[in-house]
Amino acid sequence: MSDSASSTRHSFPPWAAVSSTVPSLLRDLPILAAGLGIFWGLISLSRYWGSNAGSQPDIELRLAVLPKYALFSVARIAIAYAVSLMVTIVYAYVAAHNAKAERIMIPLLDTLQSIPVLSFLPPVMIAMVGLFPSRQLGVELGSIVLIFTGQVWNMTFSVYSSLKNIPRELLEAAEVYRLSWWQKLIQLELPYSAIGLVWNSMMSVAGAWFFLMACEMFTLGNRDLRLPGLGSYLETAANAGNMRAVAWGLAAMVSVIVLMDQLIWRPAIAWSEKFKFEQVEASQTPRSPVLDVLRQSRLLSFAAAVTVAPVREAVTLRLARLHTEARPRHASAWGSRTALACGTAAAAVIVFAVARMIVELSTISLYGVREILTGAAATFLRVEFVLVLAACWTVPVGVYIGLRPRLAALAQPLAQIAASVPATALFPIILVALIRVGGGLGVGSIVLLMLGTQWYILFNVIAGASAIPTDLKEVCNIYGLRGRDRWRKLLLPGIFPFLITGLVTASGGAWNASIVAEYTRIHNQTYSTVGLGAVISRCADSGDFAVLLGATVVMATMVVTVNRLLWRRLYALAQTRYKLET
Amino acid sequence: MPKFDPLREPLDHGDWDRVVVLLNGMDAQVAGDALQGLPAESQKQLFAKLPVDTAAKIAGVLPYFEAYVLLHSRPLEEMRDIVDRMDSGERLRFFDELPEEAWQQMTDEMGAERTGEIEHAHALPAKPEPLPVLPLIEARQVEKRYARAGGGSTQVIAPTDLTVESGLITSMLGPSGSGKSTLLRMLSGLSEPSSGEVLWHGKPLRESDGGGPNCAIVFQSFALFPWLTVVENVEVPLVARGMRVRERRRKAIKALDSVGLRGFASAYPKELSGGMKQRVGLARALAVQPEVLFMDEPFSALDVLTAENLRGELMELWLSRKMPAKSIFLVTHNIEEAVMLADRILVLGRNPARIRADFRIQIKHPRDRNAPEFLVYVDYIYKLLTQPTLDAAHPPTMAGAKQAYQMIPHARIGSIGGLLELLNDRGGSDDLYRVADELRMELDDLLPIVEAAALLKFAKSARGDVEVTYEGKKFAEAEIHDRTRLFRDAALANVTLLQQMQSALMSKSDHTMPLEFFRDVLREHFAEDEMKLQIDTALNWGRSGDIFTYQPETDRLALFSAVIPAEADEVETS
Repeated sequence: MSDSASSTRHSFPPWAAVSSTVPSLLRDLPILAAGLGIFWGLISLSRYWGSNAGSQPDIELRLAVLPKYALFSVARIAIAYAVSLMVTIVYAYVAAHNAKAERIMIPLLDTLQSIPVLSFLPPVMIAMVGLFPSRQLGVELGSIVLIFTGQVWNMTFSVYSSLKNIPRELLEAAEVYRLSWWQKLIQLELPYSAIGLVWNSMMSVAGAWFFLMACEMFTLGNRDLRLPGLGSYLETAANAGNMRAVAWGLAAMVSVIVLMDQLIWRPAIAWSEKFKFEQVEASQTPRSPVLDVLRQSRLLSFAAAVTVAPVREAVTLRLARLHTEARPRHASAWGSRTALACGTAAAAVIVFAVARMIVELSTISLYGVREILTGAAATFLRVEFVLVLAACWTVPVGVYIGLRPRLAALAQPLAQIAASVPATALFPIILVALIRVGGGLGVGSIVLLMLGTQWYILFNVIAGASAIPTDLKEVCNIYGLRGRDRWRKLLLPGIFPFLITGLVTASGGAWNASIVAEYTRIHNQTYSTVGLGAVISRCADSGDFAVLLGATVVMATMVVTVNRLLWRRLYALAQTRYKLET
Repeated sequence: MPKFDPLREPLDHGDWDRVVVLLNGMDAQVAGDALQGLPAESQKQLFAKLPVDTAAKIAGVLPYFEAYVLLHSRPLEEMRDIVDRMDSGERLRFFDELPEEAWQQMTDEMGAERTGEIEHAHALPAKPEPLPVLPLIEARQVEKRYARAGGGSTQVIAPTDLTVESGLITSMLGPSGSGKSTLLRMLSGLSEPSSGEVLWHGKPLRESDGGGPNCAIVFQSFALFPWLTVVENVEVPLVARGMRVRERRRKAIKALDSVGLRGFASAYPKELSGGMKQRVGLARALAVQPEVLFMDEPFSALDVLTAENLRGELMELWLSRKMPAKSIFLVTHNIEEAVMLADRILVLGRNPARIRADFRIQIKHPRDRNAPEFLVYVDYIYKLLTQPTLDAAHPPTMAGAKQAYQMIPHARIGSIGGLLELLNDRGGSDDLYRVADELRMELDDLLPIVEAAALLKFAKSARGDVEVTYEGKKFAEAEIHDRTRLFRDAALANVTLLQQMQSALMSKSDHTMPLEFFRDVLREHFAEDEMKLQIDTALNWGRSGDIFTYQPETDRLALFSAVIPAEADEVETS
């Protein structure tokens, strides 16, 4: 209803003016075509899942299979995203509305958010393959579970904090005008969370590619758990030394990412613009031709008018009448009893799981303990070394670019495309090259980790440097601050908050990448180096579950601890002392 | 309301003469109280009927602003007679309290030729206005407390009795942080009182059916949903009432029509100016046909002209009875706004909030903000607010035995200096409302500065005037370097918290203390937000007066002389 209202009064860019002279049936053509495309995609997906479920698929390198593989990859991400979205809304809604649940749910969310998801890749895959009779289905589900775990938390956090930050007067208006929980959700809470949710969804899905690539090309020792998709295509091509296929695979991946950006995220961002909580209209708003086509489509607005609108109207009015009649007292007593029961059950399960874990952990041999600890130390040092190394080149380069607006405008999109290719997709290619050169994984893992981390830092440094206010730069010029002094007094403090944000993200990425970077298998030969990631992969491979569990727990604990002790404090410092207020 | 009782029965029968006889026979104080309990029009009509002697007797005990208005309800000659016959002490006090414009007019009138230039109509209606029977809302001993982190609770609103009557615009005035909005939220059912109860039509709030009382709120920040069009915003409460599409669209358009925004129905709020947004807020409130329309500082977010325009339109809706609401309850910190709009004014005191005055405005609409009678009310409210001890409605009630902790007004020393300089330039004293007018400052901004100057004994504020003291004059004329010293002396002599801070710092061997210690001290007396403001102001004052320094990283205070002795010496010698 609001969409149709907005489309009638929106001022359109030139292309829209042209399209408005075209007959409306023709204008709906792209939408019809897209509908058919989605239909075809669903059919081929169902055929794949219906037939191939049991057998081990061969990864082909023909170009003709690329669209199908791309479709499979996108479908995994889409399913994981749909599940994430539902979990996000329910989790955030409950946490924001129930003070008791909030006290448990939010610290839990905070911890889950910083655990490196890939450390669960080997154990989850093994569990899933064991759990499902059809191995292929198990691996499929395993990959979806992992992608879900990788993308859900920041979305949830975003919605939760949006819900908690709704201005008090809006909430009071909702209460004094007696909105039902449903009307409040769809007219106030979801709209208020929309912008944050869209941005975080975008980030989550970008991150999902990273995990997806790792999942699709996952092998454990001589067990092949690969899934047909872009990741396995790239890995197979690199292993076979087929550079033409590698190039096509990368091209396919970049175009899928660019297409998703144009067809989904741009329209979503332009659409979410109307949920901006601002008092005055912004001078520049994001635009999307795709969104304009959708908004102008008579077909879509007709479809919405006969399907969505009546249902929404009926549900809203029904719940509104229930709400004004309801006596909430009894319901809440019942609700709290259910919540108590659920809480007790959950606590019991957790206690049981922890007890089992402790029993399992106690079987680790002294040798195993030593292995875990050396691995932990090695990976820790490797990750921090990589961060320092990455900062060493990205800070000067980023500041150089950021201080020159024209260069920044040129470099930013290029760097974005470079960074949009998930580091895990490049791993097999770089590994093959490294092994040809003769370097082992000792050096190789560092190169791989760099690949996954440097972009975050570079982006943020560029953003930070371009955000340094002109008047501060002029003050430095007037008082002749140059060289080291300029860096110490202006540039480093100026970019500090951005640098920290970049490092936090990079650190998370590096821990994740260490799982796949420290242990790999090429041409039926295993390469590995000392590290916790290698321990996890090797133990999953050899079925040493106690050490696998121990190593996973140690990694998760370490990352959470480093986050709490180091990054969070630096972040707080950045937010208070080094924040440039305008 | 027992005050009404002696006059109620004869008034109900329209027996004016009997009422006059009754008033004649009463003690002046009792008669004055009884008169003040009546609706504004009835007061004027009665006063016009009183014999000159009785009128003089009663005028002497009335608050000066009431006396001023009532006196002017009689023909000029009679008024002069009455004033002449007032007790000389009372007359002196009355004239003394009048603000300048009113005093000038009164003096002119007393000495003017006896011509009939001021006309007064005196056609009495057959029956006086009916007295209110049952108030729409009645709050009985409502109190609000907030739990403190370390246990216990802080009282933000002392037990308060309050009524909202039908047919009146009631305005609640008070300084910022005095709990006006909290009281409004308790009356509207948004927030539950910690003790006491709120009755609507004599029934407790929670027993009312349909999910709550039939009221609407117009918010300071408009509280529109930016993602909905104007008409969808107005429809939000109608959807909540389960109204079908066609009917709610019709009602919403009608409401928009009444505020002149029909043509903007399909616009989004962000395309509208502030004034138009607030009209949408008003339309949304009117669409539900509320019994009571609550307005929480509805004009504060608007510029002066827009606010003025909107006030005019609100009054037009109200006076022409195009508005479904039976009563308007308006919270504001703008004194002129309250006197302009309200039939009845409640003045709140703070920490904890309680009602300090409750009186009726006896001026006909439309009101002229430059009229002496208007200024009389403005001046009176300033007087109330600048003299926390002056209690018009109730004798000082110390609910708790605990002595209230001294509250530092939230003013920066730069502003205090500015005010003192201004006053010093204007001969040392002036009426507060003039200062506010000259500086284009609202009460909320000006009052803390005046209070701070008074707390530091740089200025005295009495009866709506503010006057620079000897110390204040010295401070206003001092140079920067001396100002710091003068401020330090004044602050340490008068501000409890700064005294405590200094002596605590002196008693420590390293002359430092964590600030958290003082936060804890204040938490005993103030709610968390107020505590933070108190600490902020104390930090500003203490650092401005070179009493201590503060390290944000460690959150510690250090005695100034202990930290900076070397530098201080350098300054001395150089």
